[in-house]
Amino acid sequence: MGCIKQIITSLTIGLLSISMFTACTSDKKKFENSITIAYGADVKALDPVFAEDYYASQVTSQIFETLFEYHYLKRPLKVQPLLAESMPEVSEDALTYTIKLKKGIYFQDNEAFKEGKGRELTAEDFIYSWKRLLDPANKSQGTWVFDGKVKGVSDWREKMRKGLADYDTPIEGFQATDKYTIQIKLEKPYHQLIYVLAMTYTAPTAKEVVDKYGEEIINHPVGTGPFILKDWIKSNKIVLVKNPNFRDMTYPTEKDEEDPESMLKDAGKKIPFVDKLVFNIITEDQTRWLNFMKGNLDILSIPKDNFDSSIANDQIVTDLADKGLELYVNTEPDLTYIAMNMKDPILGKNKKLRQAIALAYNTEAALKKFYNDRGIIAQSLIPPTIDGYDPSFKNEYKQYDIEKAKKLMVEAGYPNGKGLPEFEFSTSNSSTAVQMGEFFKDQMSQIGINIKIVPNSWPQFTQKIHDAKTQIWGIGWVSDYPDAENFLQLLYGENVSPGPNGSNFVNAEYDKLYKQALLLPSGEKRTKFYHKMRDIASEEMPIVPLVHRQGYYLTHGWIENFKRHITISDNFKYIRVNMEKKKKLKPEL
Amino acid sequence: MLKYAIRRVLYMFPILLGITLVTFLLFNVAGGDPAVQMAGKYATEAEIEAIRKDLGTSGPLYVQFGNYIKQIVTFDFGRSWATKQEVTRMIFGEELRTSPMLVSISLTFPAFFITLVLAISIGLLLTFYRGGALDKSIMVVCLGAISISSLVYILFLQYYLGYKLGLFPISGISYDWVEKWNYLALPIIIFVALSLGSNVLFFRTIFLDEVFQDYVRTARAKGLSNKVVMFKHVLRNALIPIITLVVIQIPFLITGTLLIESFFSLPGLGGLIYNAINNADFPVIKAMTFISAVLYMFFQLLSDLLYAVVDPKVQLK
Repeated sequence: MGCIKQIITSLTIGLLSISMFTACTSDKKKFENSITIAYGADVKALDPVFAEDYYASQVTSQIFETLFEYHYLKRPLKVQPLLAESMPEVSEDALTYTIKLKKGIYFQDNEAFKEGKGRELTAEDFIYSWKRLLDPANKSQGTWVFDGKVKGVSDWREKMRKGLADYDTPIEGFQATDKYTIQIKLEKPYHQLIYVLAMTYTAPTAKEVVDKYGEEIINHPVGTGPFILKDWIKSNKIVLVKNPNFRDMTYPTEKDEEDPESMLKDAGKKIPFVDKLVFNIITEDQTRWLNFMKGNLDILSIPKDNFDSSIANDQIVTDLADKGLELYVNTEPDLTYIAMNMKDPILGKNKKLRQAIALAYNTEAALKKFYNDRGIIAQSLIPPTIDGYDPSFKNEYKQYDIEKAKKLMVEAGYPNGKGLPEFEFSTSNSSTAVQMGEFFKDQMSQIGINIKIVPNSWPQFTQKIHDAKTQIWGIGWVSDYPDAENFLQLLYGENVSPGPNGSNFVNAEYDKLYKQALLLPSGEKRTKFYHKMRDIASEEMPIVPLVHRQGYYLTHGWIENFKRHITISDNFKYIRVNMEKKKKLKPEL
Repeated sequence: MLKYAIRRVLYMFPILLGITLVTFLLFNVAGGDPAVQMAGKYATEAEIEAIRKDLGTSGPLYVQFGNYIKQIVTFDFGRSWATKQEVTRMIFGEELRTSPMLVSISLTFPAFFITLVLAISIGLLLTFYRGGALDKSIMVVCLGAISISSLVYILFLQYYLGYKLGLFPISGISYDWVEKWNYLALPIIIFVALSLGSNVLFFRTIFLDEVFQDYVRTARAKGLSNKVVMFKHVLRNALIPIITLVVIQIPFLITGTLLIESFFSLPGLGGLIYNAINNADFPVIKAMTFISAVLYMFFQLLSDLLYAVVDPKVQLK
């Protein structure tokens, strides 16, 4: 008995003393001029070519820079030069873009360069990096940004596949006319080019670095950006530190109308403000929440289960406000929707049936149930903050109305669902996705439609959509760039499976409008085309638009200049840590 | 014994072949097409087909299986389809210090050892006082402990010991050889709390089986003290089931514990396997299946060999 007691006592003392000892040593780290955030999933490769998901793209874009970027504060988003000296010169036929580079931009120091000193960035670096992006051997998911749009790209890729070309084979549409000038020639007008030149995919990498590290380049990012990779422990954390040689770049001097005056407190001051960025990988909501509440994380998207205890009437609760926490809300440019496969012999041929499905779905209830009311009910494909969004638009079939839905079911030839087979609702197998499926099933039972829920692993789910083997399913789309075209292409006839038009909707009028709109620059005329397409989609209802989600972010009182838009990923250079506030507030947590 | 061991090692090859074949077929039937995943949201059929070709998933199944066998023999599983990192480095780390396998072992080995010592001690104690109030009350506690979901332990202890009382870090890991135990202490405590109940009941049953054997009665009749009977005779005779439990558990300890690793953000093998399955990351799945199978067979052989060491009655032929 005594022996057991001894063992238990010594174990407890041992564990506690280790804990106390290290708790003291980690105290020193408490007041660094750094920002720590957490990601819910692992970051893959740190290479612009593989900036495929939000996490990879965000970390990569702290290290690498693109020709253009979005103004940090202005909304709707506004493109401005970053590595480019000015906005591009566009030829009259909109087929040639000439872009001048800023002079005196240097890559971060690395052993790959002569004497370890980063060399100057040139136009050739872009041509090389874009070839890397398009090289079929790299299997990048970002090839669409140029493929089929820039002259000679598709040809070059085809030849590369067959071994008939290499990086020395020129691509007609990409030319470095001098050390600091790039010329891009297009197959047809591509007004979204300016946006894709702001995407991390198109950031330049130096050839020397790729040559030195080979396939391991994904672990050795060397860009021109404000932060340098210091440490990366896979599935654990990524640590970036300030690039000591970063050029003089300053905080914006103009703000959006809705921003408070304090957002311009640092106007004209040199950025970045913080010395270090830490990205922790924390997959569980509770773990992220507790770490944030202890001050171990500086910024947090509020987890679903903690929402009711932290937000009341769209305001932060007093308990949290007393701790200095601040709330930031933004509507994401995204869309969740229910898609129906138009290749299905029943769903695809019966517009009234699809309209009835849309009418019988109570989006308001779903928004409360699954998103804590964090979002707005979507009336069409086009989300807010995107060029082409019309807040006054009301979709006739998006107003929850069971009686009207039942009437449409009669007109569709299936009164109270009579004669309809059971439909399969495919979903991923996460618990929330399955619950959403159950909700859809309940809603449809009101008009006599029987639904069978079919959960799949994520790879199986995407494959079924790709193979057009799904009947009805729920999915989402987040904007790549702030143009409604990015959402309207989800129904474009040439994008059917395996492309992004998973519902395989083909409508001649819609496709014609889409092609015409592509040729137009941003403006009233193009918006009219967008609205016509939106109206066709609303009437035909191949997809039922559900929700544009809203992000609810908490920041600690010491975080300043925080503003967020999912399309702007290089935002950390603008954020400041108020060290005095941090020293005062953090010990009280 | 050596002959026996060699024969058992040779048996491993056909078993391994069987396991690899089953994994391979399962993945091909139910895994989803990795090329679709890799091609992304704007993919065209031609691009997907090109990726399939590149991955080798478009060729005949026997050729793909042949490649898998080659990978096993050369122990080169290539790069992950999901993370593009080298598979062996994902498992063993870029250096020993940060190895996911070491993270898993650092959590599970000490926790398992502590559980074992505590469970055997408590098991002996309960056997000693069997039928009494102490025995009954600890049994009730153990049954209660087993009935509670493991998530409850994790959520509750992380909240109170980590957040509320601040005795331990809420999550994370340090790669400093000393500081890391600070981060591992709470996960270890939870691991012990999770497994102690069932282990105590297991050992109590084993010891009770032994206590009623003739040799115990004889020992008592010869006038040996209870202490000597319990520690010298009962414990020794109960070693076979203990060895079975311990040795067979080791491969599972090496491959990590998903829930604890995930709640405490410990980058071990549990999370690695989980992500690989979710992402249809076949290179990682292949490597982990192979490693797990080898570990399992090796430790099963070891446990058989140990039987002969602890029990002279066991003869290995």
